[in-house]
Amino acid sequence: MQTALNAPLDHEMEKASNSYLMSLLALLVGAPLPIINLIATLIFYLGNRRSTYFVRWHCTQALLSQLSVFFLNSYGFWWSVSILFTDDTISNEYIAYMITVGLFNLFEFISTLYTAIEVRKGVHVRWWIIGDLTDLICKPKA
Amino acid sequence: MKSNSLWAIVILGGFVGLFFWLRTIDWVGMFNIEKHTRDTEEQLGDLFWEHIGDEGDQITDSATVATMDSLVSRICVANSIPREHIKVHVFRADVVNAFAMPGGHLVVNSALIEDCKNPEQLCGVLAHEIAHIELRHVMKKLVREVGMSVLVNMTTGGGDGGQVGEVVGAFSSKAFDRDMEREADMKGLDYLVNAHVDPHPFVDFLYLTGDGESDETLEWLSTHPSSKERMEYVLEEIGKRTLSNEVVLHTTTWEKLKESVQTNVKTSTHAI
Repeated sequence: MQTALNAPLDHEMEKASNSYLMSLLALLVGAPLPIINLIATLIFYLGNRRSTYFVRWHCTQALLSQLSVFFLNSYGFWWSVSILFTDDTISNEYIAYMITVGLFNLFEFISTLYTAIEVRKGVHVRWWIIGDLTDLICKPKA
Repeated sequence: MKSNSLWAIVILGGFVGLFFWLRTIDWVGMFNIEKHTRDTEEQLGDLFWEHIGDEGDQITDSATVATMDSLVSRICVANSIPREHIKVHVFRADVVNAFAMPGGHLVVNSALIEDCKNPEQLCGVLAHEIAHIELRHVMKKLVREVGMSVLVNMTTGGGDGGQVGEVVGAFSSKAFDRDMEREADMKGLDYLVNAHVDPHPFVDFLYLTGDGESDETLEWLSTHPSSKERMEYVLEEIGKRTLSNEVVLHTTTWEKLKESVQTNVKTSTHAI
């Protein structure tokens, strides 16, 4: 979902876009550990708390988007750990779950990449549900 | 907000729907996971067997091998267990012990055969260990104790001799957990009944091997059910069965087997 917004400055667009790129970069670096990209996005979010509304808003949306897949990935991660280190075995349910989570992550990855590109151009991209949640958390300064 | 709720339901429904649809597909069969698991187990079995075979004093005389084979075959045939699943080995050792290894290797110490008063007792022990193999307890125990990653590493040439020795030591000396032991006792009893082997002597064997136990409070601390506890539930289960016992071995064959495995060392330790 896209909405028009007052044209942000170039450095704002760059910072806002980076908040999404941060999660993608962290995902590539720490792929097996689902917490890494969440932490990276959280650090970026904390670092930009005092920034402009455009930047804060996108940092918050990036953080919330990571949070949504964090729980799915964590469950898959610990399920994999239990297969590797306990007597739990690979089952149809496990493979089905990993494929489902993988597809959701792929969808999230593409969406994040698309958002990063569009935000860099100054387009205010709002995600379904998460965009409204971001509105509730991130208010323009009085 | 109404639109958000709708989207939340669509996304959640999509996730759940996709998961439930995907789980109907036989991925395990498609990726041959069972076969890979069996192959890993076979490789581990060969690796451990190589280690044990090098260190142990295996008894290979024809009388012992033929008699042990006939006992194992009797249990396997009566219970539709492919005979090639079980590879029985007898070692000259003074510890009363028998244990199952990955890949269907079943090791029986000579002292255990000497300790048995009749072939039915020995059959009881064999049936119990075969049950551990068929119920895949061996791999479950190994994975629980050392982890799948270490085992896969071993089969791909990553493990050194010391590591293999440690793992072999762990499964030959430590018991399975209580649930596994109980499950193997029950399954072993099924095997005996189906093979027309009197299961009562196995209970006697548990009594004889467990006569050193005195402190009942330790029962709950142990991972292994006490022999007394095992005797009780095995006896209770026997009471529910219809038995049609047949002669397992002729007296002369049994005596010959005991003679061929005889050691001069006094037995002292019991662990099955």
